[in-house]
Amino acid sequence: MAPSRSKPVPESTPRPIRKLLIANRGEIAVRIQRSCRDLGIETVAVYSDADRNALHVRFANQAVALGGNTPAESYLRGDRIIAAAKETGADAIHPGFGFLAENGEFADAVAAAGLAWVGPTAKSMAIMGDKLSSRRAMVEAKVPVVPGTTEAVDDPAAALRIAEDIGYPVMLKASAGGGGKGIRVVPFADEMESAFSTASGEAKNAFGDGRMYLEKFLVSPRHIEIQVLGDKHGTVLHFGERECSLQRRHQKLIEEAPSPIIDEATRQRMGEAAVAAARAVDYHSAGTVEFLWSQGEFYFLEMNTRIQVEHGITEEVYGVDLIAQMIRVAAGEQIDDCVGLMPRGHAIEVRLNAEDPDNGFLPSLGTVRNLRWPGGPGVRIDSGVYRGMEVTPYYDSMLAKLIAFGRDREQARRRMLRVLQELHVGGVKTSAGIALQLLQTEAFITGDYDTGFLERYVEGGNEAPKREVTDDLERVAAIVAALHRQRAGARRPARNPQESSGGSNWLRAARLEQHGRSGR
Amino acid sequence: MKYFLKTQSDRRLEVEVAEDQGEQGYRLLVDGEECQAVLRDVDRLGQYALVLDGRSYAVSIEETDEQHLYVNIAGESWQVIAEDEREKAAGAIAAQGPPKAEQIKAAMPGVIISVSAEEGQTVAAGETVAVLEAMKMQNEVQSQHGGVVESLMVATGDRVEAGQVLIKLAPNPDAE
Repeated sequence: MAPSRSKPVPESTPRPIRKLLIANRGEIAVRIQRSCRDLGIETVAVYSDADRNALHVRFANQAVALGGNTPAESYLRGDRIIAAAKETGADAIHPGFGFLAENGEFADAVAAAGLAWVGPTAKSMAIMGDKLSSRRAMVEAKVPVVPGTTEAVDDPAAALRIAEDIGYPVMLKASAGGGGKGIRVVPFADEMESAFSTASGEAKNAFGDGRMYLEKFLVSPRHIEIQVLGDKHGTVLHFGERECSLQRRHQKLIEEAPSPIIDEATRQRMGEAAVAAARAVDYHSAGTVEFLWSQGEFYFLEMNTRIQVEHGITEEVYGVDLIAQMIRVAAGEQIDDCVGLMPRGHAIEVRLNAEDPDNGFLPSLGTVRNLRWPGGPGVRIDSGVYRGMEVTPYYDSMLAKLIAFGRDREQARRRMLRVLQELHVGGVKTSAGIALQLLQTEAFITGDYDTGFLERYVEGGNEAPKREVTDDLERVAAIVAALHRQRAGARRPARNPQESSGGSNWLRAARLEQHGRSGR
Repeated sequence: MKYFLKTQSDRRLEVEVAEDQGEQGYRLLVDGEECQAVLRDVDRLGQYALVLDGRSYAVSIEETDEQHLYVNIAGESWQVIAEDEREKAAGAIAAQGPPKAEQIKAAMPGVIISVSAEEGQTVAAGETVAVLEAMKMQNEVQSQHGGVVESLMVATGDRVEAGQVLIKLAPNPDAE
């Protein structure tokens, strides 16, 4: 990880940050607060009506109500957020991810209000935020890109002509896209028209821009991304790669660092390409350069001009606090102490989402009635969830990030199995069960998986996971159900004489138990 | 009591509570095979401690209703339908009846992005009839059993609550 230094950016006089407003909620807001506590920085939370009792509000030193429930009424109200910062005397704003994190206008408004913006400049965001302008910038910076269009296409006929040149299968992507919306794979020309209209409609709905971008669809691709960090003094570093191929509909589920298929030479080449990409847009702060890797080659996909959900695994492997580094960079400090950091061991992250994998991954809403967190060596939980929390339809379904660290990949994997076996979330369904299965598949164990693996696994026809526990747990589960009914029946008034004899014992036991509890 | 269990993978089990031994738990006959089980409620919030023939399990139970349970053991979970003798007999009678009408409901609150079914149209089991946007994601709404669309209760752009009926289906007369 050689440092590379070029033209220093002016306006870099250090200005300490003593109080930071976090323009976000949930897990990432809590995560940022934790770094602030470590740095001795006071925190200001903002919150919607739905989040009055949220953990990020309770953990903050100050909290300001934004009102409303939907993001548009609350966490997207840049004006109210800046007013809250001024009112509380905060000297900086950290946007987290999502909401206003990649909104250049907001970044400019924050700076105009005399506050430090913990993130890259609006200009960097603007270039990288648009698929076409970022691609042009990358071609110029000699960063490899996937063959495809450089101009936005707005009708299916033009898309058909271009696709003939690139060769099928091709991929349609929203020009202003993100988060998996407005993306379609078109296997043959016959399917172009319908794919174009649905993808374009979805993009128009989500981003107000229905223009499409076409590119070659890569065979068995892997999603591998490089963490970068730059300061305002011209230093840009990379922190190796994260393997994020276990995703479904472009929503990542399991990530690991390092990638099982990247060797040191490739890591260096990808790292240098990522640093070149960041330099091309005068990037400072933390960011992620996403690549698609296919058959030994890698191609620039996009740059996320913010901290990412899965930054924690890089932190574990490099022994660095990326959030703290972002804050230092925003304060005008240098990142010289990060130069020469080397990766160590292996980290795996599972996203704990409130969703139902048995039911098409539909969001699972409700109240978190019960929580049992895992622990032990090599375990890190980044979470915003608590018992009694309402999972509402207003926000993202991610509840927590489970991270396991080990001296090597197999130790990290075994630790993550333990984490998922110890974890219990009651009241809502989560992604934990399917993650546990995936970690035990031959594909994961050998590291031989691509971005289509999870979808294929879910659709069926894939190998059954090899469970290490030899007990027949399905049988045990069925027995539990019978026992549960027996107990429930015993607690209720007997329906017929047959049941009453069994019931009285349990009634007595239950009364005794209750009596004992109240005495404590 | 005797219970008839069915898991989501259609595995079936018969569990007979042969003897309630109070604090010592139960003596069970699982498909005729003798077992000893103790199930204790840990926190009254869904966590249980199970000892089955000397093996220990951390169990949690989520109850949809009396008969429909989710049982989680060591991170894996199973949907189990538990019927007693009376319910099993009643279920067997109901299964012989004519096919039922279906009401397709919203699984969660959200906004209807599109409705692809039309009144009078025949839809197959598993067919997508509408798209519902919730939690920033577009979710396909599907018919469970299939049938003939009797009435559309919502239109594109409508905001719906969880459990709200979106589409009513009449049984498909061509189905056996």
